[in-house]
Amino acid sequence: MINHHLSDEILWAYATGSLPAGHALLVSCHLELCSDCKSRLGEAEALAGAMLQSTEQQKPSDDMFDLLMARVEQEAPVPAAAFLNEPKPEKGVPTALWDVLGHGYDAIKWKMVGPGIRQFILPIKPSEGECARLLKLSPGFVTPEHSHHGSEMTLVLQGSFSDETGRYKIGDVQEADEHVHHQPVADTEEDCICLAVTDAPLDFKGFLPKLLQPLFRI
Amino acid sequence: MQLQNNDGDSENCPTSAELSALLQTLGKDRSREIFRELFEFFAPRLKTYFLKGGATSELSEELIQETFVIVWRKAEMFDSRKASASTWIYTIARNLRIDRFRKERRYLYKDDQFFANEMVEEETQLDDHHQTQLSERVKKVLPLLPAEQSTIIKLAFYEDASHSKIAQQLELPLGTVKSRMRLALARLRKLLEGVDL
Repeated sequence: MINHHLSDEILWAYATGSLPAGHALLVSCHLELCSDCKSRLGEAEALAGAMLQSTEQQKPSDDMFDLLMARVEQEAPVPAAAFLNEPKPEKGVPTALWDVLGHGYDAIKWKMVGPGIRQFILPIKPSEGECARLLKLSPGFVTPEHSHHGSEMTLVLQGSFSDETGRYKIGDVQEADEHVHHQPVADTEEDCICLAVTDAPLDFKGFLPKLLQPLFRI
Repeated sequence: MQLQNNDGDSENCPTSAELSALLQTLGKDRSREIFRELFEFFAPRLKTYFLKGGATSELSEELIQETFVIVWRKAEMFDSRKASASTWIYTIARNLRIDRFRKERRYLYKDDQFFANEMVEEETQLDDHHQTQLSERVKKVLPLLPAEQSTIIKLAFYEDASHSKIAQQLELPLGTVKSRMRLALARLRKLLEGVDL
């Protein structure tokens, strides 16, 4: 049961293709897990389709249709559904993430950031200023309190965490912006694995967390 | 009124339901005439879409051609219960634009995935009546939004501008851009429910 969903502005950005790459990956993973948001994406796309339909018109070249016809008439029929044979991801790993990792969570080469927290920077080409990574928090781990210059989106993939704004379980998504100060805590017996995407460096409070910042690469 | 300034002769414009019926028929019989009708309706609109997205006139026409090659190839997979013709063609055009200009996210916007998975669940289907009239409704209500809200919606739609890019362009804090976009979408939803045709 998913309690924390995507905001309308994130869905609209995704529907129009204007969301930065790492954020789009996170949204894509959430959509695989959440039929509510998937149906809301359908509405956003319908809105975009309606905008296309009512957009102003600019005349294309006169010979364009004939050129197009010549092109499609030469085409051999394309066999459908060849893509259905792709290997299925391990249970619990969203397909979009599997496409990036090529394996499940067990085979990830985690890097220690500090006691109780590991990270893995995803090998995707992020949009400018973005960082997309997986975080693994040990049970009971308390993240240093921090706020943000830009925004941070977090999707829970395993376990759960809690902070001032609520409890986040598998499939739940948190959007934090520059007004949010929070201190997430992994709150079950299990490691908590999250996909976290930032689009500007985080701003840690206090001296020690500041030392950790270069290690976070965030 | 701004309502009809896009159409010129809105009398002769096919409705959303007619467009969807045309696309469905194209999938069955591959008629050149029907393909031409769809082309004549959508190509001039797609041209605006690609031009505003930063493509040159030449590249816009290339992308329109590519859009219609896919329409031709995949028309038989179109199901009007799941999306309107405009929505279906929009997603093809959007994916092509990402493929061309935003290579780092192309793997997330694959047509195959879209056609196979995205629209199969029954609960995601929109109410038919609402769906087929949506464009007419949107045309009616979009001008009712305050300019500061509709600008933000349109920058994302036409120019593929991210939240932070919009913030930069309009010299607004990121949070303001997001909250205006949220307000605009909530307002649109409300207006769309209330409008009678």
